[in-house]
Amino acid sequence: MTARPEHLPERLALLADMQAATYITEGLLTGREDVPSIALNKTTEELPVDDARFRLRRVRDLIDDVMYKVQAEERPVTAADAWLAPRLHATLRLTRREAADARLWNYLALGVAPDYVVRRHLPTTPKKDGGAPSVARARFRGVHYTQAFARLWWTAELFRNGPDYTPVVVACGNQDMLNTALRMDVVDHRPTALALVRLIEREVIRTGREANALASAVNASAATLMYDVVAQDSERDAEPLRDWIAAAEGASPVSRNALPEGPEEERAPETSVDVLTDYFEGLFADAPVRGREVVEESSAG
Amino acid sequence: MRAYPYPRPSGPVTMRVTAVRLSGPDEAREDLDTKGYSVVEQVVALGRAERSDWETARLKLSATVPAREMETKGHWSEVTVVAVLAEKATNARTVARLEPEGPANREWTGSIMLVRPDHLDRATLSVHVVATVDGVPGRIIASSERDWMVDVTADVPLRDRQLDVVTVSFARAAEWLRPFRDAPWMVDTSGRMPTVRLNTDFDGLTALVQGAGTKVESLVGEMLLSQLCTDVWTAVFHTAIGDLEIEDDGTPLLPPDWRGEVLREMLPDVVPGRSVEDALREVHARRTGDGTWAELQPRIHYAATRRAEVPKALGETVRGIERLDQEATA
Amino acid sequence: MEVGEDFGPWLARQLQLTRMKQTELAEAVGVTRAAVSAWITGRAEPRTETINKIAEALKLDVGTLHTRTTDTLAGLPFTWYHRPGHADGGREFGNAAAFAFEADLEVLAREATQNSLDERRRGNEQPVRVRYTLNELTGETLARFRTAIRWDDLFPHYESAAAQDQKVGRVISAGLREMYERDRLVLLRVDDYNASGLTGDDYADGRFAAVVRRQLDSRKVDSGAGGSYGLGKATLWATSRLGLVLINSTLAEAHEGRTDRRLIGRLDLPWREVDGKPYAGPAWLGRPDAEADNVDVVRSWWADEDTVRSLHLDRESDDPGTSFLIVGAHDVASLAGARSDGDPGDDEDSLERMHRRLVQALGRNFWAAMTTGGDRQPLLEASVRTQRNGDEFLKEERVDPVIYQPARSRALQAFLGGNTVERITEVGQVAAVTVPLKVPDIEGRPGSGGEHRAVLLVTDASDADGRPNQVTAMRGNRMTVKTSRVPDLPLGTDPFQAVLLAGRAAGDGAPFAAEAEEFLRTSEPPEHNKWSQTEELRMRYSPSAHRRIAALTTATNKAVKELVAVQKEKKDSNGTGKVRKRLKVSGKAAAKGNTAVALPKLDDLDATVGADGAWQVTAEVKVPTGGDTWHMSPVAKLDVRSGPRPVVRWAELVAVSNCEVVDGVLHFAPGARRASFRGVTDVSTHTVRAALTGLVVELHTGRGDSA
Repeated sequence: MTARPEHLPERLALLADMQAATYITEGLLTGREDVPSIALNKTTEELPVDDARFRLRRVRDLIDDVMYKVQAEERPVTAADAWLAPRLHATLRLTRREAADARLWNYLALGVAPDYVVRRHLPTTPKKDGGAPSVARARFRGVHYTQAFARLWWTAELFRNGPDYTPVVVACGNQDMLNTALRMDVVDHRPTALALVRLIEREVIRTGREANALASAVNASAATLMYDVVAQDSERDAEPLRDWIAAAEGASPVSRNALPEGPEEERAPETSVDVLTDYFEGLFADAPVRGREVVEESSAG
Repeated sequence: MRAYPYPRPSGPVTMRVTAVRLSGPDEAREDLDTKGYSVVEQVVALGRAERSDWETARLKLSATVPAREMETKGHWSEVTVVAVLAEKATNARTVARLEPEGPANREWTGSIMLVRPDHLDRATLSVHVVATVDGVPGRIIASSERDWMVDVTADVPLRDRQLDVVTVSFARAAEWLRPFRDAPWMVDTSGRMPTVRLNTDFDGLTALVQGAGTKVESLVGEMLLSQLCTDVWTAVFHTAIGDLEIEDDGTPLLPPDWRGEVLREMLPDVVPGRSVEDALREVHARRTGDGTWAELQPRIHYAATRRAEVPKALGETVRGIERLDQEATA
Repeated sequence: MEVGEDFGPWLARQLQLTRMKQTELAEAVGVTRAAVSAWITGRAEPRTETINKIAEALKLDVGTLHTRTTDTLAGLPFTWYHRPGHADGGREFGNAAAFAFEADLEVLAREATQNSLDERRRGNEQPVRVRYTLNELTGETLARFRTAIRWDDLFPHYESAAAQDQKVGRVISAGLREMYERDRLVLLRVDDYNASGLTGDDYADGRFAAVVRRQLDSRKVDSGAGGSYGLGKATLWATSRLGLVLINSTLAEAHEGRTDRRLIGRLDLPWREVDGKPYAGPAWLGRPDAEADNVDVVRSWWADEDTVRSLHLDRESDDPGTSFLIVGAHDVASLAGARSDGDPGDDEDSLERMHRRLVQALGRNFWAAMTTGGDRQPLLEASVRTQRNGDEFLKEERVDPVIYQPARSRALQAFLGGNTVERITEVGQVAAVTVPLKVPDIEGRPGSGGEHRAVLLVTDASDADGRPNQVTAMRGNRMTVKTSRVPDLPLGTDPFQAVLLAGRAAGDGAPFAAEAEEFLRTSEPPEHNKWSQTEELRMRYSPSAHRRIAALTTATNKAVKELVAVQKEKKDSNGTGKVRKRLKVSGKAAAKGNTAVALPKLDDLDATVGADGAWQVTAEVKVPTGGDTWHMSPVAKLDVRSGPRPVVRWAELVAVSNCEVVDGVLHFAPGARRASFRGVTDVSTHTVRAALTGLVVELHTGRGDSA
């Protein structure tokens, strides 16, 4: 199995797609090889700012802990994501602008924790053609909703309610919700994201298929309905995030047990989340779910 | 074509930015020169700001809606007009309500805030008219036809973007470039915008493609430049087509960034006579499945040469050489 | 009490007017001839009871004798005097000046208003007020007006002139027909108030003679004037299809001791013969001039209020100024390009159109003079109203420069009010900078020139301002001299309007304002449409003086660009600008290559949600030439906010016209240009209810079930 990199510099860095591609080998994807960490660190670029947030150690410590958890837990996948997403977010304390730089995620996946990416994303079953199971390339280098670390960070960013990461944990509990919703523009509206989570909490949505059906209905309905108007969010304020980032210097490592706290941003108005939760529940009741309504339909038709 | 299950007004919705105020730390304020935004291009160039440490930009907007039509037809109640500022790259979405100005409810004004750390590159700004229709609140009944672009780094409000061109010694640059030391240029398509690197180890390369020097040099330079451009367009096309996001049903999506723009530009030459979406589907199918990818290469090459204006450069060069010959024999 | 001229001269004129001898008056009043002579020479004045008798003899009321502001009406009434034919038999066909113009209300409004502006009284800070009144006369009112202007005396002359096959003859002929057949005559009155009025002698130099007697003269009053009563006045006559204009003027400076109701009429006709006598050119309506050699010559007279009213010349106040009444007004120019904008009526004298043309012309040409700012009064106020037989037909409309030139008047307003900015940061703001005009020395007067700073105003344009990206230049009279496009603006420059205020227009504080004003006026040709080399400029300054104007233009364009133009390109820091320029990403396809193929495409879509929740679609397809060989699959999808749209299957797909449906694919009839089909979606394939979202229908090539 791919091992922890031998060479871990003091600071995080940026790794361009072109360079990243050269390290994503068949050997790595199948977990048989390690990343040549010394060579890799020669092709990186420095981060534009030098502050405490980017001390590599802080992230690697989290990875070490989660690796341990992955081995210990019974349902490793969702539990690991639910544990790591808020903690990664609270450790890195990135702005969205910084988080939009794929080079940082490339570096995390290849330079800091290739062992984790392989452990987390290596399928347990062999390929259809009988080949050895391999990690999808996009887990190392890919868009924000597929890359191993970007997807966790963005889940935390889009599903947190101000400083409260609880909804993030819930969202991670339904991997299909994570995979489907994260790629849709509708979750850029906070009350929408929180209403989706609430339906999981209420156990209206239990399975992956249900999550997918709900997500498609919400996405389709959003083509004609402006959720932002029927369920207003509070106005964005840049200051809490700025303060939170500034406080990174003196912050102690995030708690391994209790949920960390995010920036002290205003929470989404409760009424807005309620309005959408009810509306989505109605949508879901109407939506065809694969496997759920087949019988009804065929008997009706 | 689209149809909606509820009535929508047919008149246009237009929007323009009327003022931009940047705020920085310590109450610092700056009103952006109107040269920083263009109604013609519908672009705001925030990089034009004098101070670089601004944290928020408040954009004042004015929108016009087909008020008379909405009044006469009477299908819509509780009309609101909202502006939406969004950027795919950062999943940022800000919504602001506009207020009617004047008696006719035709013009709506207001402002929307852009929080700088929430944005990377270019945000789109659009206006939507939302109303209650047939008892359903919150329906989008009309939207502005063309989005504005709010570019957080550009200092010129132009819609078209240029690829980055840098000059660098491949032999002495970052380690990964050294293996390419024999190449005169290289296209790196991995960044926010593709970057073309010109290798300064080739003495005089830059001057040549810039068209400096004697007549002969400028003729050669022109040919070289079109060669370079052909390489670049071929490379960016392959990157764009190779990096497609594929949906569960197999539909390739046009990427939101420069890749999408490049595809929009070149696909009509690669698969002529089709809609861009249609052409994209076809190219993607050939690349991934049915083995006719190789057959498509000449068309991609054709699109790149056209985009690089090779025929024009070639014609001019031939004519230029003839003229030089005449001068030499005269 | 208002008192007119001295008794002696006044009495002398009354005797002349009434053709009464001193002895006759002496007899009628019962005094000696010597006593009358003494009154006339001013050696004595009559006693009160004698005055009563004199009034009786002259058929005047006693008050008039005391005030002496009008003349007796007892003598010959006002009448038409037609100038006899030239002794040499030369024939002129109509007023030479009037021929220069087609009847064009835009030109009339420009010239007449410019005259009023030039004649504005400088003593007060009040604007000159100009009012255009259109009045359509019919029936009884028209008959009364004809009587008032002694139509019967005129008619033979018109008949003779109309009979000639000359252009003027044809215009008159049409005018007469219009009046008789439709029983309709349009009067257009141009009034100004707070202006000089037609002062001066009937014949000698002065405003009066310039307008009434000499058609080709231009009499300039001050150096700021545009062209006082120059050629422009001829447009008054050119606008009348009868060549007839009546004038009533209230004078700012007394003439013959009077100011009120100085009347005259002038008719311009071609050479004609009436009752065997030849007549050449003009005729005047007036009072016979007792002092003239020819007993039939007429001059202006001081009319009473009834006469003024009967001639539709009554003025609304005592403010000095002039009223021109154009009899039979028409607007030939408006016919060109008419109809296109949904005009009411298409007559050349449709009241609505004439009204609108006047308002527009005033707005377009005089926005600057009408603009106010801060606490400053405008130079001009203008309005247009339309009546029928004196009753309101179209409401009086005060011309508002903001409506006709929103951007330019906003610019000037900001300048006058001191609200300009250095740098535009918000739409609607006006930036002001100064540009240099190096006024050269006047020939032989070294040191008389210097650097003037003209004021350049720039603001964002609106559609109402006309063509964008122009600089409108003017000097002290605020009349647009020229409007020129700023060249070489980079792509992406927002549309703007600029105003260049030079000379006195730059404000009192501007250096060398008076010198610049004079310099620019000297460089202005009679058409007042540019600043350039003129003979006068060459003589007064130097042969190269006009280059200073070119320098001003260059400086102006440069300053405009600095204010509005976006930078062309990024700074070429590493010498790769040319390469970068070739590597632009725009998302726009290159111009169509020769390989372009035209495919059938959807042209119209009609879709509703049926009771069963399915979409019912009728679509029309446009088939280009050669496109009928393509097979197209209609595909229906549900709209989404982002990502792929779920495809819904057709439950039913049928051809309606010019096509067949074969396995869900459209085959077009050969040669068909349009085809249509109908479809119903399969509800079981909807991922959401139809009412929730939009439906997208596309045509794909070949079999289109794969989406």
